[in-house]
Amino acid sequence: MGLLSFNNVGISGLTAAVPRHVINNYEYDLYFSREEIKDVVDKIGVKERRFADENTCSSDLCFAAAEKLINDMNIDRQEIDLLIFISQTPDYRMPATSVLLQERLQLPTSTITFDINLGCSAFLYGLTVAYSMLTAGGIRKALVLDGETRSKVYSLKDRKTGFLFGDGGVAALVERDDQFGTSWFSLNSDGSRESLIKIPAGGYRRMSSCETVAEKVVDEYGNIRSEEQGYMNGADVFNFVIREVPRDFNRLIEFAGVERDSIDYFVFHQANSYINGFLAKKLKLPEEKTPATIHKYGNTSSVSIPLTIVSELKEKLQGKKRILMSGFGVGLTWGTAMIGLHDCYIGEVVEV
Amino acid sequence: MEEKLVNALAEALEMDASIIKPEETFRDYENYSSLTELSMLAMLDSEFGIELEMKDYNKLKTVADLIALVSSR
Repeated sequence: MGLLSFNNVGISGLTAAVPRHVINNYEYDLYFSREEIKDVVDKIGVKERRFADENTCSSDLCFAAAEKLINDMNIDRQEIDLLIFISQTPDYRMPATSVLLQERLQLPTSTITFDINLGCSAFLYGLTVAYSMLTAGGIRKALVLDGETRSKVYSLKDRKTGFLFGDGGVAALVERDDQFGTSWFSLNSDGSRESLIKIPAGGYRRMSSCETVAEKVVDEYGNIRSEEQGYMNGADVFNFVIREVPRDFNRLIEFAGVERDSIDYFVFHQANSYINGFLAKKLKLPEEKTPATIHKYGNTSSVSIPLTIVSELKEKLQGKKRILMSGFGVGLTWGTAMIGLHDCYIGEVVEV
Repeated sequence: MEEKLVNALAEALEMDASIIKPEETFRDYENYSSLTELSMLAMLDSEFGIELEMKDYNKLKTVADLIALVSSR
């Protein structure tokens, strides 16, 4: 069924880091005219986003967020028994970036580390793994690090994706505590739609070559990209999301058996403002309960849900709160979660 | 239903409803693009409760096809 529930485990602290370099989308006219850009940007709602420089990886953003989390919360590094790194922009093909972060964060060698390679739904997947391992016992504290440098993945000469994505990283401390109560997750996947969002080359099915890195005109609109850059079929994804995400949203609420009115905030993956606006309207969500960061950080893939919580809910999470999260994207994979927070520590967004 | 569809189509494509004719191919309208295609899909879902697979949407050619689709539900 892909439905999970957990008791008395949850997020006790959350921090985020973004690159300091701000891209003003309306003025980002390297390859397209400002008139063309305006049509795109008005629709997707990404007014600004952050780009990492060539020396900054997802792991660097997560490292900055994790250092802030550990220092602000005065966490004993020796008690961190699990580190999960979620990303589709790792430092290397091998070793796993999580292992590098174990050393950089000066965690003990007894720490369990591994990477999770998933996109926009991945924060929910990562949490269920951390929650499961904490529930199994023997783990005191877990760090879930989630970072993306999507700016390095997509062609700036492809207007379908060139104005959408931005970079960011988050760190979440997950631990056991009776205060968290019950949390619920629904996770889903549909591999028949694998081609809708994809980097076709550079893996082991179609290995990197001169041909795969060559830029080509790919459609009648003159968009340009290589096979090692990301592709997205926006209409197909949109059509899928507006059908399946509300379905999963309702499935999770039914599974949890809680009143919708008892949910304090609905935090959606920041895909683009058109999709997000449509989902909010279809699900009849009040605007004040649906925080957004698409206008200032763009689509940061799996990072966008926790980044939005840090950026927009920092002053609003005192006491007990119930948050619904909805993630959807590449795979395709999608999921919905409802978690309880209790005086969750939220740090200011750090600039790297 | 025909009038409702034509008005909704005009709104999605940001064009004047009076120039829309049933026999016309809606993808040939000047404002039809990958951006306004999203508005088309949104319109079918929110105005008519129609959820389509893209392969079925792509089979629709004319305004009359759209009218037939919304009339059949």
